[in-house]
Amino acid sequence: MRGCPVNDTITGLENALGSGALKNPRLRRIGEEILDLVKDVAWGRAGNDHIFAISHLANDIVESADDKNARQVGQTIASAVNVHKEVFESHVQTHNCATGDCVRLAPAPCQMACPAGIDVPTYVSLIALGKDAEAIEVIRKDNPFPWVCGLVCTRPCEFMCVRGRIDTPVSIKYLKAFAAEKALSDRQYKNPEKAPDKHQKVCVIGAGPGGMSAAYFLALKGYGVTVLEAQPVAGGMMMLGIPRYRLPREVIDREVAMIEELGVEFKYNTRFGVDVAYDQLKADGYEAILLAIGAHSAYTLNITGEKDFPQVFDAIDLLRNVALGHRKSPGKRVVVIGGGNVAIDAARTSLRLGSEEVIVAYRRTRHEMPADIEEVEQAEEEGIRFSFLTIPVEIVGQNGKLEGLKCIRADLVSREGSSRKVPVPMLGSEFIMEVDAVISAIGQCVDQTCTACICDLTWSRRTTIDVEMASMETSIPGVFAAGDAVTGPATVVEAIGGGKRAAEAIDRYLSGIPQPKMPPVPVRRQRVEWLDVPAATKMALKRPEMPLLNIERRRTTFQQAELGYSENQAREEARRCLRCDICRRCGRCVEVCRDEMEIDALNFGYLDFDHPFKTDFRVTEEKCILCGACAANCPNNAIVIEDRKGERILNFCGTILNRQKLLYCDSCGAVIGPARYHDYVTRRLGTLTPKTGKQKLCEVCARKTSAEILNF
Amino acid sequence: MVIFRRGQRVAVYKKSEDEGWEDYMDAYIGAHGIITDPDTSKNDPDDLVEVSLDGKGTHRFPQDCLKLLED
Repeated sequence: MRGCPVNDTITGLENALGSGALKNPRLRRIGEEILDLVKDVAWGRAGNDHIFAISHLANDIVESADDKNARQVGQTIASAVNVHKEVFESHVQTHNCATGDCVRLAPAPCQMACPAGIDVPTYVSLIALGKDAEAIEVIRKDNPFPWVCGLVCTRPCEFMCVRGRIDTPVSIKYLKAFAAEKALSDRQYKNPEKAPDKHQKVCVIGAGPGGMSAAYFLALKGYGVTVLEAQPVAGGMMMLGIPRYRLPREVIDREVAMIEELGVEFKYNTRFGVDVAYDQLKADGYEAILLAIGAHSAYTLNITGEKDFPQVFDAIDLLRNVALGHRKSPGKRVVVIGGGNVAIDAARTSLRLGSEEVIVAYRRTRHEMPADIEEVEQAEEEGIRFSFLTIPVEIVGQNGKLEGLKCIRADLVSREGSSRKVPVPMLGSEFIMEVDAVISAIGQCVDQTCTACICDLTWSRRTTIDVEMASMETSIPGVFAAGDAVTGPATVVEAIGGGKRAAEAIDRYLSGIPQPKMPPVPVRRQRVEWLDVPAATKMALKRPEMPLLNIERRRTTFQQAELGYSENQAREEARRCLRCDICRRCGRCVEVCRDEMEIDALNFGYLDFDHPFKTDFRVTEEKCILCGACAANCPNNAIVIEDRKGERILNFCGTILNRQKLLYCDSCGAVIGPARYHDYVTRRLGTLTPKTGKQKLCEVCARKTSAEILNF
Repeated sequence: MVIFRRGQRVAVYKKSEDEGWEDYMDAYIGAHGIITDPDTSKNDPDDLVEVSLDGKGTHRFPQDCLKLLED
């Protein structure tokens, strides 16, 4: 990837000013003004007039230059702005530098990891400051479902959280839920401003997270959006696939209501391909269509007896029926087949419906289970049993009544040339699991029948809709797709990210702008000032445990199992954030301190992504002399040194690494730094140290006094 | 082939011949990342798995282009 032209312009201009290419004092002043303006662009603080002003001043240099070098400087700047105008504008409008060269505008790892591209450090910092509504405002620039994601997101951000390389990741997911709940409770949860009406209509098929996210962003852009939904409620898999003890219905309803408030029209009980056809939508004036139909069909077990008994059904059906209000227990003894999240959800739901014994049968071991570990642990606490290395063979029963599930024990065996172990049945190990209901949870796929009315729609070999992932365009112009229909059964936040990309692509399509060839880079929304936290506190703060509903209620009701953080827990947790939106982890500070100053006070083991080692911010205070070399060499002002109230303080993104009392010159009263720094300088100068007796003197007074002593 | 689990460090070490590999992914060869969502239901070696790449965003990749990094 090429460098950023904004950053290149800064480097070129600094070199020109440093080398004396602008000799004329007036032109030199203009050059310095341009440098300030371009730095504003690079730092995300430029306004709409900046680019014009840079161009105007550069042309002024060209016209007024009295030598070749100065003219060339002006021409280079004018040309950079002219050729790369879009990139300059992108820096101003989106506060984003795609190359990451303009370090202030490069997203933090957590933001980069989020499929929806939420500016995590900004909203976490706002939560630390108690500004929950502002935090939600930031989240909703990229994701219309902060509360839903705060409860059910798979949190890729936390896996990339740099704090996790020190102890545990910041609890980003739960902080989001806390802020959403608080903002809603305070009646401060608001929609962003809508763009003027574009008088163009878009139809979204499916009211799941992908479809509704697209609807939200399209409505904000000024499009008229209609969402068709086959079910009587909005939410898709969030509503029908995720049980209420994990995601209460009110949470979905409240966030859907915010989308409705933007003017999005929902048509329920309307099945695409049955009640409405593709041609009809085109005839009705919809200029673009988004297919967000989800993956609601279940794979079958393909074992004998599967179709013969009404007590055998798939997990998706069970969860859907329960979500729609059915409360009939599937049976007294239930076995759920599968090892994913849906299997765990079906098992825990059966328990809450009154089943006395629920077993999850999985063909591999606990180690290979793809379900979230927290979900598995909670299920076990609630009394769900697991039968590992168990392969279902046959459904057993007579006269239409299920009697059991015949299974065979498995052994995990490595195949030649592969380290992936495969479950192989152990001969003669068959046994009958006596149950009165069998629930299959071995995966879902996209139901292709509803799209039969769209000729020429192409599908991948994984039976998902074939799209360009950067733009979500299908094989048919004007038809886009997002969510599980594209990815297969995936995550809520991935569907939201896909919906957002699709909305952007639909806007481009309807505006006649070419589609991008790469997925977009997340956009920085703000740069919130950091919050001062002593190093000892930063290290001592621990990620809080999520309080849970008592076990009896969890086993018997659909009340929300995770009770959420208290306000104090949330504020404290938010203060653990390392502010990676400011520190880029280049390691320059560590190198300077260790190699040039030979002090080695910054032991930041977390800077290494692949091989992180121990980090302890408290160690800095033991060695640091507060010389400021680290701060002087930081390219992003992430580490600063300042004199405040008689102390010199070393502050690293809000973490107070060291603070020492300042010494003042006995003669003139000037600051001479902390004693440790003074001693270090004295030691390094050795015999060259001016003779000052017992006095603590600044450099100037010391020289003067030394000269006086020597003259005598 | 290995079974990928959430939280494992991986590298995109080669281009995949799978149709799930798109041209823009060529830029990610050599990048390191963390598995954030393996296939959540089946442990199917054919499924696309979600990986957060250091500094390059979160994407779904065919499994044959990924290798585990030693801790």
